[in-house]
Amino acid sequence: MRLLFLKILAAAGIASLACTTKVSEWVLLNALPDEYTLAYYHKEPFSQTIKQQNSDIINDIKSANIQFKNVLKTDIDKPYYALFYRNRLFSRYNDHRELDNLAVSPLREKIARELMAGKLCVMVYLKTDIPEKDDKGLQILKRTVNGSPFGNIIPVIELSRNSAEEKHFVSMLLNVESDLKVIDEPMLFGIFGRFKALEPLLAKGISEENINLMIDFLTADCSCLIKDNLPGTDILFTNRWENPAPALVNKILDENPLLLHH
Amino acid sequence: SGNRPLPKWLTDQRLLTIYIIRKS
Repeated sequence: MRLLFLKILAAAGIASLACTTKVSEWVLLNALPDEYTLAYYHKEPFSQTIKQQNSDIINDIKSANIQFKNVLKTDIDKPYYALFYRNRLFSRYNDHRELDNLAVSPLREKIARELMAGKLCVMVYLKTDIPEKDDKGLQILKRTVNGSPFGNIIPVIELSRNSAEEKHFVSMLLNVESDLKVIDEPMLFGIFGRFKALEPLLAKGISEENINLMIDFLTADCSCLIKDNLPGTDILFTNRWENPAPALVNKILDENPLLLHH
Repeated sequence: SGNRPLPKWLTDQRLLTIYIIRKS
């Protein structure tokens, strides 16, 4: 009798852990983006001009996932700014004008709108601007997304790695992994949640099989006990993630229960 | 699908009350 009770209790406990929220939806609703740090390295006391300059920068980035700090460093020739993410140096800037539009840009705003509209993710195809390299992967990407039952909720956006307007965004994407900057190949980033970019597929890895695995990852049920090891890098952007539209993936899965997977 | 490994996310994806009363 007692054993039966224990079994029933164990079954109830396991059932209570079950969750039907999809990975992409859970991250958008619950996972706060990690913060960047913009450091100003200097060895001289601030002039009034520098104070005003840094005040303007702080004002520009105040609503983004970033903090600003001053660092006194005696062994430098001239002051500079450095952008860090998880204690990793992303970029160095010698002139404050290079920081214009650090936290916001037209393409990032467009991607955020798609995510807030309930889309599963946005696939960003980072091009080398060498057609022989870019075209094959782009064709595979479009064919795979169009053939997916989730194709309507996966916008595909092309971006040149030489884009001046999106230079900060490109730099952050190329810093998702430490060696991407030196690899001159097309790359495919899945962006989901509150602007989290998955480690990319690149070159021959931009295959139908791997793209479908990315879609599977984002449409899978929450089912395991590890939530703190979400993959990817949070892209610097303004923090306006309140009240997103309901995730469109649920409607597709309700209409096609056979697509459900764990 | 220089032999750079695939990302990890991708490879990973790839009555009691009654019983007590009676007993007492």
